[in-house]
Amino acid sequence: MSNSKIWQCLTCEFVYSEAAGIPEEGIPPGTAWQDVPEDWLCPDCAMGKDDFDMQEV
Amino acid sequence: MGYSMKPILIIGAGHAGLSLAREIRALDKAMPITIVSQDPIQAYYKPNLSKALSMNKSADQLIMKQLEALKNDLDAELLENTSVLKINHEEKSILCQAKSTDKNEQETFELPYENLILATGASPIEMPIKGASGNVVSVNTLQDYTQFRKMIKDKKQILIIGAGFVGCEFASDLSSSDYQVSVVDRAAWPLEQVIPEQMGTEIKHAISKNGVKWHFQSTVDEIVKNNQGELKAHLSNGVIILPDVIISAIGLSPNIKLAKVIGLLAGRGIVVDEYSRTSRHAIYALGDCVEYDGQPLPFIAPATLAAKALAKTLTGNKTKLVLPPQPVGVKITDYPTLICPPRIKEGSWQVNGVDQDLEAAFFNNKKELCGFALSGQRISLKGEYLSRY
Repeated sequence: MSNSKIWQCLTCEFVYSEAAGIPEEGIPPGTAWQDVPEDWLCPDCAMGKDDFDMQEV
Repeated sequence: MGYSMKPILIIGAGHAGLSLAREIRALDKAMPITIVSQDPIQAYYKPNLSKALSMNKSADQLIMKQLEALKNDLDAELLENTSVLKINHEEKSILCQAKSTDKNEQETFELPYENLILATGASPIEMPIKGASGNVVSVNTLQDYTQFRKMIKDKKQILIIGAGFVGCEFASDLSSSDYQVSVVDRAAWPLEQVIPEQMGTEIKHAISKNGVKWHFQSTVDEIVKNNQGELKAHLSNGVIILPDVIISAIGLSPNIKLAKVIGLLAGRGIVVDEYSRTSRHAIYALGDCVEYDGQPLPFIAPATLAAKALAKTLTGNKTKLVLPPQPVGVKITDYPTLICPPRIKEGSWQVNGVDQDLEAAFFNNKKELCGFALSGQRISLKGEYLSRY
């Protein structure tokens, strides 16, 4: 997937990679950040999407 | 919408206190917030304390935000190094004292509140071992960790007492950074209270690869320090260990002293209802200092969820706290493990899988899933397990 981005939780540094997704959370590989459900919570610390920042890759 | 001048007053600036302030600020730009903390106020992720060596980070590098940045982000008044001596719940104020070596600055002062939130955390359980006092360290705050890193510098032998989440992570972290680690626990396998023996055995082997020596079903009988300052630990299994540093990782006890003085209902932790309310008007509590259904839940996610719900309630949108089953990752080098601790004791484990790739489900007597643990490749089954609740 081109232009795949990485997002990181500001609280616990959990990394969400658009290319990898999180299959065990029901988010298939290749899911763009904007398509991750709004009520999704960080699997490590339960912060919401607002608490993630995009990282340069 | 107008506000009285009295703030939301939060005691404690750990994950619970800071998250609550952040969530309130996200919902309300104007509500005054004050945070009082007996420690320096810095944002850091506490679970990283037992992982920092593997992350190649110093204690300072774990700090995510310093005081000034937090003041700015939260638009709150932050009083660090300030002890709370007393809560005057009838007048709705607290009595504080700044920690200072300067006598003139040691005077006490009062802070009024509209709503008071106790986010006082939990402290290491004191070790009932002969000779432990002064010779055993606990790592529960960033300040503790800074001291700890100084202590282990150029040292080799570390003894960890306790093989729970923190003890196992420290054993893994220290041993993969070339420390010689011994672990003592009265249990029969690591994390005995939350995983079955088969998985415990795999964890034991995984951590042993870096030379960790385990002493299960054993306790430390006595710790002796000689004139040269060298430590000697006598174990109940007859083994004698000569550690440079001894870490206590036997667990935490909620900080409920302030709450008890004013008669707040408390068991092991402060008792709260589904709105995080304590037994007194305008006083709430969340994080490691509370208990839910009689149980403290000293993990990050419950504190985050409590902060989110309470922020809504305090800003006028009364919201119940819902705590879904929440798996916790255990950071062990080369052995990914995810544990959703059973919230009950009565029941039995069912284990499937081979070698490192295990799935363990804990069922109560009615055959309902009450907890699980996944390791290795089976971690990918997390979503499936959660949907079975």
